[in-house]
Amino acid sequence: MHYEAPIRRPLITGDKSYEDITRDVSRPIETNAPRSWWIVFSIALLAFLWGIGCILYTIGDGIGVWGLNKTIGWAWDITNFVWWVGIGHAGTLISAILLLFRQKWRMSINRSAEAMTIFSVIQAALFPLIHMGRPWLAYFVFPLPNQFGSLWVNFNSPLLWDVFAISTYFSVSLVFWYVGLIPDFSMLRDRAKNPVQKHIYRILSFGWAGRAKHWQRFEEVSLVLAGLATPLVLSVHTIVSMDFATSVIPGWHSTIFPPYFVAGAIFSGFAMVLTLLIITRKVLHLESYITREHVELMNIVIILTGGIVAVAYITEFFIAWYSGSNYEDFVYMSWGAATGPYAWAFWALIICNIITPLFLWFRKVRRNFLASFIISIVINIGMWFERFDIIVMDLSRDYLPSSWAMFSPTFVDIGIFVGTIGFFFVLFLLYARSFPVIAQAELKTILKSSGENYKKLQAKEEHGH
Amino acid sequence: MADKKQYWRGIAELENPGLKEQLGKNEFRDPLPTDEFLSDENALHNGQTSRRDFLKYMGFTTAAATLAACESPVYESVPYVVAPEEVIPGLANYYATSYFDGHDYASLLIKTREGRPIKVENNKMAKLNGSANARLQGSVLNLYDSSRLQAPRKGSESIDWETLDAQVIDGLQKADAAGKQVVLLTGSVISPSAQKVIRKFGKQFKQFRHVVVDPLSYSEKLRAWQEATGKRALPLYHFDKARAIVSFGADFLGDWVGQSVSSDYAKTRVPGKDMSRHLQFEANLSLTGSNADQRYKLKASETGLALAELYNAIAQAKGRPTLNLKGKSSQYQAVQKAGKELLKAGAKALVVAGGNNADWEHLVIAINKMLGAEGNTVNVEQRCFLRQGSDQALENLTADMKAGKVGGIVLHNANPAYHRAGNLAFKEALQKVNTRVAITPKANETAQACDFLAAESHYLESWNDFKPADGHYSLQQPTIQRVYDTRQFEECLMRWAGMVGSYREMIQNSWQEGMLRDRSWKEVLHDGVFAAATPLAGATQEPAEQETAQEAQSDGANLDRVAASVSKMAQNASGMELNLYQKAGVGAGMLANNPWLQELPDPITRTTWDNYVALSAADAKELGLRNWNESDGALNGNAVNLTIGKTKLKEVPVIVQPGQTPGTIGLAIGYGRKGLGKVADGVGLNAQQLSVGRAHFAEVEVEPLPEYKHPFASIQHGYTMMGREIVKETDLSTFLNKPAHTAAGDGWNELPEFGTYKGEQAPDKTTLWSSFDHETGHMWNMSIDLNMCTGCGACVVACQSENNVPAVGKEEVRNFRDMHWLRIDRYYSSEVTEEMAEDLSTAELYDQMEKAADSPSVYFQPVMCQHCNHAPCETVCPVAATTHSSEGLNHMAYNRCIGTRYCANNCPYKVRRFNWFEYHNNQERFDVNYSMNEDMGKMVLNPDVTVRSRGVMEKCSMCIQRIQLGKLEAKKNGVPVKDGQVQTACQSACDTGAIVFGDVNDKESKVFQLKGDDRMYHLLGEVGTQPSVFYQVKVTNKA
Repeated sequence: MHYEAPIRRPLITGDKSYEDITRDVSRPIETNAPRSWWIVFSIALLAFLWGIGCILYTIGDGIGVWGLNKTIGWAWDITNFVWWVGIGHAGTLISAILLLFRQKWRMSINRSAEAMTIFSVIQAALFPLIHMGRPWLAYFVFPLPNQFGSLWVNFNSPLLWDVFAISTYFSVSLVFWYVGLIPDFSMLRDRAKNPVQKHIYRILSFGWAGRAKHWQRFEEVSLVLAGLATPLVLSVHTIVSMDFATSVIPGWHSTIFPPYFVAGAIFSGFAMVLTLLIITRKVLHLESYITREHVELMNIVIILTGGIVAVAYITEFFIAWYSGSNYEDFVYMSWGAATGPYAWAFWALIICNIITPLFLWFRKVRRNFLASFIISIVINIGMWFERFDIIVMDLSRDYLPSSWAMFSPTFVDIGIFVGTIGFFFVLFLLYARSFPVIAQAELKTILKSSGENYKKLQAKEEHGH
Repeated sequence: MADKKQYWRGIAELENPGLKEQLGKNEFRDPLPTDEFLSDENALHNGQTSRRDFLKYMGFTTAAATLAACESPVYESVPYVVAPEEVIPGLANYYATSYFDGHDYASLLIKTREGRPIKVENNKMAKLNGSANARLQGSVLNLYDSSRLQAPRKGSESIDWETLDAQVIDGLQKADAAGKQVVLLTGSVISPSAQKVIRKFGKQFKQFRHVVVDPLSYSEKLRAWQEATGKRALPLYHFDKARAIVSFGADFLGDWVGQSVSSDYAKTRVPGKDMSRHLQFEANLSLTGSNADQRYKLKASETGLALAELYNAIAQAKGRPTLNLKGKSSQYQAVQKAGKELLKAGAKALVVAGGNNADWEHLVIAINKMLGAEGNTVNVEQRCFLRQGSDQALENLTADMKAGKVGGIVLHNANPAYHRAGNLAFKEALQKVNTRVAITPKANETAQACDFLAAESHYLESWNDFKPADGHYSLQQPTIQRVYDTRQFEECLMRWAGMVGSYREMIQNSWQEGMLRDRSWKEVLHDGVFAAATPLAGATQEPAEQETAQEAQSDGANLDRVAASVSKMAQNASGMELNLYQKAGVGAGMLANNPWLQELPDPITRTTWDNYVALSAADAKELGLRNWNESDGALNGNAVNLTIGKTKLKEVPVIVQPGQTPGTIGLAIGYGRKGLGKVADGVGLNAQQLSVGRAHFAEVEVEPLPEYKHPFASIQHGYTMMGREIVKETDLSTFLNKPAHTAAGDGWNELPEFGTYKGEQAPDKTTLWSSFDHETGHMWNMSIDLNMCTGCGACVVACQSENNVPAVGKEEVRNFRDMHWLRIDRYYSSEVTEEMAEDLSTAELYDQMEKAADSPSVYFQPVMCQHCNHAPCETVCPVAATTHSSEGLNHMAYNRCIGTRYCANNCPYKVRRFNWFEYHNNQERFDVNYSMNEDMGKMVLNPDVTVRSRGVMEKCSMCIQRIQLGKLEAKKNGVPVKDGQVQTACQSACDTGAIVFGDVNDKESKVFQLKGDDRMYHLLGEVGTQPSVFYQVKVTNKA
């Protein structure tokens, strides 16, 4: 059995037995949803429907119903896209990279983090589709054989790389998530009393019987998928960043973008995981599994990635100035930006993404649920602004001042964004009441090494010797 | 034949005689029992349809309904019954014609396709006004304007021509019989044949008067020339001969006296020893002032004094008596400088004045005479007839009408109820006339007050001959059968004068009898223009027997009186002055119901779909008025109420205009229409609603409305170049004496270089990409000479017309979504200097750099797709919808485009235009764009160019359809493409020759030479895009 040093803080608090874990994880699924769930779900559903309405309006009338113009061809659409992709980063990082690094604390959060990944990548994938002028021809981006002879996609285009990067990431994440779910589904199957429910979980659990061979294959597949997913964590946002980095627009054309975007994505992903889990642990009574310890560890990742992001900002600022090129005078990290018409967006970014996370250096803050919750939301807002700044500010003041422009969203821009948030929460809320939100099978493997009661027992034993 | 021969179909039939019947039976087993079924009525009523029957019926009806629904759509198309000989589907025919509407005049070529006129081109054979300005480039669209009068009308009810003729003749004869006057009120008439018709028409009546009025008065100017030369006509100007040009408020590159001088002007602007120096004194920042080497702010009320000072300066130098002046003008020093420049140029000097003031004109005439310019740059022998109006006559007429002395009036090309709304109570007086007839294409402001509206034909449906100036003749010929039930002015008069025959015959006869001599009518008709020394037989020497003012002419030219008068004017000036001007797109407003023209950005303010008060920054501050931008960048402005005497114009929006003379405001005429149609009506305000008088300026009371918010539709928000090398400029002495490129890198046209491990390299050498062969075949390049470009905007409209570019309306322009493939960027200089930069903080510096100087230099730069050979747009398109051709062009495959807009984002020049909406067949949103939303309007579309659907990107194609045509022509003839054979639409519209297009692989070509010119540079060359378009450095001749 895994041995853990006694000075390590327990990852499962309270006096929990294996059965307690089973019961705690399956409780939300086996009981009726409380009124609060219905209220939140209804709001999310309404937002989602409103978003669908806005999307249909866009497809019906044209992209002109958005606030874009001849100079600023992307704004909220791609901002939202990159923001959602970024959020989708934490899941795979937690489940794949932390798995490879044998970080056991990931076990109580990886399921939700991965669910969040899948759901946010769904939101993200929506935007490249609907931002097209003619979305009904979206299949043109796939290298499909056709009757036009040499008509082929343009492999030089970062947008095409996006297509592959996002779809690969989505499929691998989905498979990874699903594989992890199998033992837990089978647990639910075994406990289900309602025959319909039982039937559904039977199908979902793929005939899992908990045999040693099953477990062995499970572990192997998990490891292989973790190996596959690890480069994806880095590649997806690298490629997304190349949408900008390979262009010629001042502020976009920046070689620092790939690592900086990846760090930013993890930064925002962890913030979103925190936002979700701080609520989830309370609502679903999972305080014993998602502990102060987990929050602190996630906050430490945020400090690290946030630090990388801050250094990147400073580098961008410095290089824009140091280049001596006056085309760089107004890029999103420059004096021109800090004092220009988009100064509010610039300072929103600085305050949200550099200054606010600094509070996490205080141990008290990062171990405080409320403070962590607020900071996580501020970071998510900041990361949205980062993408907005990069896209809109850089486009708004590029080479020729004759074409300089500004952007202001219409109700459709806002509606679609709100709609994706609604869609995300619809999915997450449904997930929270039908999926095991904690990888209980995995968690049980560390109960005896990292559970509080067992740790105490162990300590007593050692003390006794 | 008695017995029929039997033929067997086979051995089987022979052997088995019953087989045929048997087989037949098998094939059609049971005949459908329809008769039986239908005859048995009882069964039919009582019987139930069996399931089988039901299925049969259902199957049949479904199939039938499906087939019926599959009917292919029928579009209205009528094949030629007898194909016209000269029309070959797919090939364009060109016809020479002329345009004149009482204000604008030009000799044109009209491109027709399958019988439809679709494009206006310049007539390069014409010696006078051979180029269409922006308005005339768009005039073809007005042909298909469905808000034209489609049939004659009495009041608001349509009648036929016979009824109209009878009633009009009756009405006029009754008026004549009652001893009242019969009046013909027209715009300037330059057609000799029309004058003949008018004379004939007038002879019927005892008291006939022909009164002429111009949209913007020139009668004082004309009076001065009459006093000076005895002839009531303006001279012709020869800007091409001028080496020093001093203009006092004359916007000769925009709208001045009707003569188009920009091509002549451009000839003197070629950088070199002979380059002219152009000084401009003016109140508004005009197109001409923007192009001047030096521009001085001068209030209109001081113009006379400044001219007198100039007179004195020159008189002094020449040892002649000077004038006695009181006071000094605010530009005294500059005027002295101008005097020196003029003296230096001697006979090659030219002084011109704008406005409409006899005193100024007398001074100008005297100065030009003193300099010896008369007979050289000012041609008084050949007079120009484009402006003939007499305001005195119009005032007299109005008084007579009011007194009930006028019994009948016929109007044509004259709209005093609009153009003189503030000066005269014309509309009220008109009500006292019994028979009021307007021959007009529109139920415009004056026509609305008439009982008879004779629907007038468009110029592309009419015949005419014109004599714009002595020795210059041109013909107007129809290029299409009348689209509506209309008639041209002259035909109407001929009917009403009882003349027989057609107007065309009349023109042809008088030309053939008169001046043509050995030249054939067909030949002249083909050319469209004719220069003759002998006047046309029968045509009058003087412009008709029209009325001119009965004014004191005795001492008009007495310069002492003039000096006293101008001194007094300058002294008395105290308040704000309003200066009227015309915009490139709308002009005096005759063609205003045209979305292309309304959407043509003003060259200076870059604002569309509006007129507004241009106010200096100092005055704006004092009045508490400002412009500001919405969060989406859209421009807003406060407004003012303007009052002159009893006339008021309320809520006129304000634009703070760099270069506007403090104490003056500018306001464009031609807006605020009623009755012109859905495009023009309600756009802007009618400046002439103010009683400005005959001069083009007047003192005005300005009441600020700082709370008022007016939305502007401006297509450029940036003012300055922000210290970037976008428009490169140098002055003439540097250009002449210093090298363009030096080893030290301090030449006047240093091209960008990057330090690499191989040493300094040009950006196109430092590339990751593999290079392509650009030496074989064609390599299309374009040169744009920034010295030649005046910013007039003709190319923008030409491009729109050639390439089916949609007009999107005010709201969408405000959303910054104009669709122009070609735009003319305007930059102002800023006041920031390098020394200043060091004292300012970065934020302050940026702030200052964005602001235009108070007296800025103005730069125009046409920008279209640069056809980069390393195009940023091409690499980023995921579906390869935009690709490069082996001929150096950047292609756009609309069908392949999915509309990600990545290409537009990545374009450093921001020339790509996205179809945000469906701009055609979308009347709900784009009603004003009738060229794509009305069946009639769509006739103007160029069939060679796709109308783009929504969701796709578009941009300049370098007129690929024209390139293709040129290549095919050459191929057919088995010869290489000749230089100049392929001309892009913008190039052929440019009368200054700023745009040169051609094949740089043809070493004989002009564009190849220009590419090697010292002045050549690429816009944003340091980005490494290797554009196929290049620019020529602007060279100014500053003193």
